[in-house]
Amino acid sequence: MEQEAPTIPKRRQELLKWNGWGYKDSKFIVNKAGQVEFTGERYRLSKQVLPHLKDFMMKTCGISLEHKITAQPEITAADIPPPIKNKEFISNLRRTGISYSDDCQDRLFRAHGHTLHEVFVLREGKFERIPDLVVWPTCHNDVVKIVELACQYNAMLIPFGGGTSVSGALECPTAEQRMIISVDTSLMNKILWIDDQNLTVCAESGIIGQDLERRLAEKGYCTGHEPDSMEFSSLGGWVATRASGMKKNIYGNIEDLLVHVKFVTPKGVLEKNCQVPRISAGPDIHHLILGSEGTLGIVTEATLKIRPLPQCKKYGSVVFPTFEDGVHCLREVAKQRCAPASIRLMDNEQFQFGHALKPESSSIFASFLDGIKKLYITKLKGFDPEKLCVATLLFEGTKEEVAALEKRVYEIASKFRGLPGGADNGERGYMLTFVIAYIRDLAFEYYIVAESFETSVPWDRVIDLCRNVKHRIHQECKEKGVQWPPYTTCRVTQTYDAGACVYFYFAYNYRGVSNPVQTYEEIEGKARDEILSNGGSISHHHGVGKVRKKWLRNTIGDVGVGALKALKAYIDPKNIFGNRNLLIGNL
Amino acid sequence: MDSISEQSRNSWIRKDNPKHVSERHKDMYEDILDDRRSSSDLRWSTRTREDVPTYRYNTPRTPVDIKKHVLKSKRVQYVLEKLSQESGKSIAELTTEAAVILDEMGHNINMGAIRGFAFFLVKIFKQLYNHIYVNEDGIQKVRNLLKDYPVLLMPSHRSYMDFLLISFVFFHYDLPPPAIAAAMDFMSMNFFGWLLRNSGAFYIRRTFGDNELYWAVFTEYVQTQISNSDRPVEFFPEGTRSRTAKSYCPKFGMLSAAIEVYFKANVSDIKIIPISISYSRILEEQLYAYELLGVPKPKESTYGLFQARGVLFNDYGSIHVHIGEPISVSNYCEGVIDRSCHNLLPRFIGGLSFDEQNLVSQMSIQVVLNQQRHFVINPWSMIAAVLMQNKDGISVKQLVKEVEWLKRQASNLGAYIDWPGHEPAETVIQESLKIHKNLVTVNSMDIVEMRQAERKGSDSLMDTAAHHLMLASYRNQLMHVFVRVALITLPINACTQDTLSLDDLFEKYTFLEKLLSRDFIFLPGNTRQDFEQALLVLTHTCGVAVQDKAVQIKTSTNKYTVFFSHMFEPFLLGYWVLCQHLLSLPSIAHDKPMAKPAKMITKEAQMVVARLLREQLIKHPETLSLDLLNNGLMALCNINALHKEKRDGAVYMAPNTVVLTKVTESIAQHIEVPTMPMASINVDTKTVVVNAKL
Ligand SMILES: Cc1cc2nc3c(=O)[nH]c(=O)nc-3n(C[C@H](O)[C@H](O)[C@H](O)COP(=O)(O)OP(=O)(O)OC[C@H]3O[C@@H](n4cnc5c(N)ncnc54)[C@H](O)[C@@H]3O)c2cc1C
Repeated sequence: MEQEAPTIPKRRQELLKWNGWGYKDSKFIVNKAGQVEFTGERYRLSKQVLPHLKDFMMKTCGISLEHKITAQPEITAADIPPPIKNKEFISNLRRTGISYSDDCQDRLFRAHGHTLHEVFVLREGKFERIPDLVVWPTCHNDVVKIVELACQYNAMLIPFGGGTSVSGALECPTAEQRMIISVDTSLMNKILWIDDQNLTVCAESGIIGQDLERRLAEKGYCTGHEPDSMEFSSLGGWVATRASGMKKNIYGNIEDLLVHVKFVTPKGVLEKNCQVPRISAGPDIHHLILGSEGTLGIVTEATLKIRPLPQCKKYGSVVFPTFEDGVHCLREVAKQRCAPASIRLMDNEQFQFGHALKPESSSIFASFLDGIKKLYITKLKGFDPEKLCVATLLFEGTKEEVAALEKRVYEIASKFRGLPGGADNGERGYMLTFVIAYIRDLAFEYYIVAESFETSVPWDRVIDLCRNVKHRIHQECKEKGVQWPPYTTCRVTQTYDAGACVYFYFAYNYRGVSNPVQTYEEIEGKARDEILSNGGSISHHHGVGKVRKKWLRNTIGDVGVGALKALKAYIDPKNIFGNRNLLIGNL
Repeated sequence: MDSISEQSRNSWIRKDNPKHVSERHKDMYEDILDDRRSSSDLRWSTRTREDVPTYRYNTPRTPVDIKKHVLKSKRVQYVLEKLSQESGKSIAELTTEAAVILDEMGHNINMGAIRGFAFFLVKIFKQLYNHIYVNEDGIQKVRNLLKDYPVLLMPSHRSYMDFLLISFVFFHYDLPPPAIAAAMDFMSMNFFGWLLRNSGAFYIRRTFGDNELYWAVFTEYVQTQISNSDRPVEFFPEGTRSRTAKSYCPKFGMLSAAIEVYFKANVSDIKIIPISISYSRILEEQLYAYELLGVPKPKESTYGLFQARGVLFNDYGSIHVHIGEPISVSNYCEGVIDRSCHNLLPRFIGGLSFDEQNLVSQMSIQVVLNQQRHFVINPWSMIAAVLMQNKDGISVKQLVKEVEWLKRQASNLGAYIDWPGHEPAETVIQESLKIHKNLVTVNSMDIVEMRQAERKGSDSLMDTAAHHLMLASYRNQLMHVFVRVALITLPINACTQDTLSLDDLFEKYTFLEKLLSRDFIFLPGNTRQDFEQALLVLTHTCGVAVQDKAVQIKTSTNKYTVFFSHMFEPFLLGYWVLCQHLLSLPSIAHDKPMAKPAKMITKEAQMVVARLLREQLIKHPETLSLDLLNNGLMALCNINALHKEKRDGAVYMAPNTVVLTKVTESIAQHIEVPTMPMASINVDTKTVVVNAKL
């Protein structure tokens, strides 16, 4: 296939914000009129004024426009630790012709992912340890060479894909004395082949979601893997974190999509000798690679399933009088296995948030809650605007399939007091999850820290878990002396046969709190404790990284941890992949 | 209006003479009867209640909805299916059984009944009591908590009145009426049974051992009301009314069922409110005394409760209701409990983990200890304590002196004493003697004496003992304040050496704590702290001298140590007689002593006590208390001086002679004991034959 330059350049900082989320040209600002506006022209929301958002933030988080805090202008070379240099490694690397850099901005950009902690450091502090060198392999063989050199000269490697990690996985262990090399896969962005008989695509691991889907679309295909970070996250990153896409109901999660993978380890290349739909060959080695979080090796190439592009794509929504009704409905939909490509249930707080994103004057954003329908729903049907919640739907397939499925889903919904709420409401729900990371940067400026976390949980405990976790956060905030009630909200964001994935946002106003990030982390820790006590898991798709290590041993037990350590000891005895994620890295 | 000359020194003082200040407010307490004496009860009981707090996540339900939920619940359905398979009965049949259980159990709470009940109650309360004091700050706390958390109310239990009281207080303060767990024996009281059920009482059988269906229905019924927090749930950790006015060792069943809701994460926290209810005079005082002696308890009847003899015309003083500091279950469990252990079973199947069970028992004890901390000590308790040590009478003057001394000690130990500051001590005491004139008299020589028993034609020893037990029950209200210091003064007092090393002292303390652990409440694992705390009090305020890690006996034996020790002497004496009796049991083959049912042993021991009292070999009639003897028996079991075995469902006990002999000797080191006559007992003829070989 034709070569194409990656959308995100080598010098990422030229296109992307160095201390926040996404493209430099796209951000929320408070304009001259004191209204929130989204800049740029990349998104549907771009150039729109959002008249409700400011009030929403004032109401829910107690922000005030007078109390503003500006981030540090930049982290200068002086604030960046000087690189540790492994001379032999560098001189041998030079001979291979693989490009590399020790420019401090290049290194800084690859020192972090996007947890609250990391972004806060960028805005207010400095990192104790960052990569000493960035290398850009362009193909599988480059990676093999890099790993060999690292083994030979005892350097430490951290694979870097799109840098969207939200588990602290990319952070450098502060105690690491060896040279740390960030292996940036972004130039490994080729689609190697497409097989339309078996419906598979083989691509290099550095390709990012938007490029992969766009280029497959040109041929009439898609993988259908759409994590909310798909604009920036990479194929290799997905495999390494066990990512999950919004449309997994049709296409599957990354582990379902993965047909073959090439994995370069210090011991050699780990891969299967066939590309088959299923295999019984002992424990599946793919599952050693999936979720390895950069602790065992580097994914260089992967073969994924593809599907013809759907003919028809349609948003929808259902309004429920209570969250409980909504959960019961989703459960029933899962039971009947008739979930559309995506079905998500937002609680009342998130529904209101969605509404706050309604632009000023735009007919496409008109919503059912305006005018007559609002009256209809709230007055006639007895829906309490402070309690109702919305399920957002995305249907994909042929026209007939979509029509049939729509009918079925709305029928089920009606059994749980759900009323169709229109396509706009649905669409706005999905938009929220794409722009939320941008909104966080605005919130930062008004003393709001915010973060999301997620879990998976059996159906019978979904309702209790959602309520208890939010409640626990409120109580912890009270106890920690947070002055304003926090904003907590959740949605059931994926459904499965045996349970669901629940996604939380939590934001609070930290004026008067001396150590906001630490406080945040303590509270999130309590929330995670509560999640585990409620039958939830350590993570559905964000992974463990460093921030959730504490709960791993309880999750997989001593034998589980021991087995992983043994694996590590065999594959990577010198701890070349020494990022200390999971509990494997603790050698 | 007072004239200018009579007016106070400072014009901003409205009432200078303390006698003119009403008794409505007292420290943190407020008298909730005060208003009722001056305005319409009818209007009060039918008023609109404002701002009644409700739980944030509550879904409103009627009592019928709750029952429906229980029947449909996974837990009950699961058990129905299981039992159907085991027994061959149809699900329908079993469902009917479950429904019957539910109807027997469930409350039918409704505001109408509660209003009627409040109207009726306030009349009675005004008749019986001068004041009902409630700490308002506690109410405020509960009000706030009710919005955010399921709340468990755990009051102390001394009287039937307790059942009505909390509901009454909550009604007064516009709080939601609690659902109250009541024992079945109550249900048979026609009118009251009905009224209580409609005011929120639900009924639980005293024992339902392995009746699985009952368990399931009961558990679900309690738990759903906590999860949905329809209203606060109230139950008495002691399980039954304490006949001795001391705290009973708590039962764990109800609390386990209740906080399983937290363990299984139906809720993220539960708040427990210990409540201490203190009475100046207990309605059932006499009933209890006879019960303790083993006179069979009359079946509860409405009539029984307000048994003639002028109950309504007596003065029962005041009640203090102290709403204690809330305990957060989640904080209590922090770092001790891993709730994720329930993740591998559906929540309606598994029980509690070992750690959780331990925690529940620990917590029950903590609740009772918290109740104790806030009991209000009535002057009469102190008078009773002094009288118990002056059984032959004491002059009013001396009594006043002693009571004032004791008051200081109790106060130093953290007790809250209900003592009107502006009254001279003598007035306070005279007032008290008046309320309790059924127990004591002041004769013409100004000597305070116990009244002679007046029941005709029956066992005069038992009647005297009943009187003693009544008096003892008031002294008992003071015992928790002194028990820890007394466990130190007992060995000091009994020591025959010049010094007693702290190590030895601690060892003795530990022994006594174990021995008395059924009669008094100790927190397991807290012995060392308790000991050190108590020792500190003794050295700081009671003249106990410690030098080189040893107590200096001579300087340390004083009025304090003697008084405190004597307070507890009857208990040790009772246990000692029990031990002696156990040691005298005939042995069957191979020197193996014969096992007997526990009830029989206590009954026999009581007969031995009676005999010794008649012979005047011992002098504390309260040792006739079956409760005391039974507690001794349990404690002996716990320290392996007895071993238990089950025969046909009944518990049999037999002494472990070696241990028991040691224990008996140890007890005897701490108190004066008589020389035991060799006695043999014939239970059938209820006679004790004392062999002459003294
Ligand atoms: C706004 C936002 C939305 C998100 N939404 C989703 C979502 O919907 N679903 C979801 O699953 N996740 C989501 N995430 C999390 C994140 O995007 C995923 O974890 C993603 O898979 C990370 O990919 P990446 O390429 O950015 O990896 P990076 O962040 O660069 O790295 C993540 C980890 O994988 C390792 N790694 C990266 N590439 C390789 C490789 N080639 N070989 C071996 N190891 C490698 C790294 O060392 C690191 O440990 C979101 C994150 C953000 C910030």
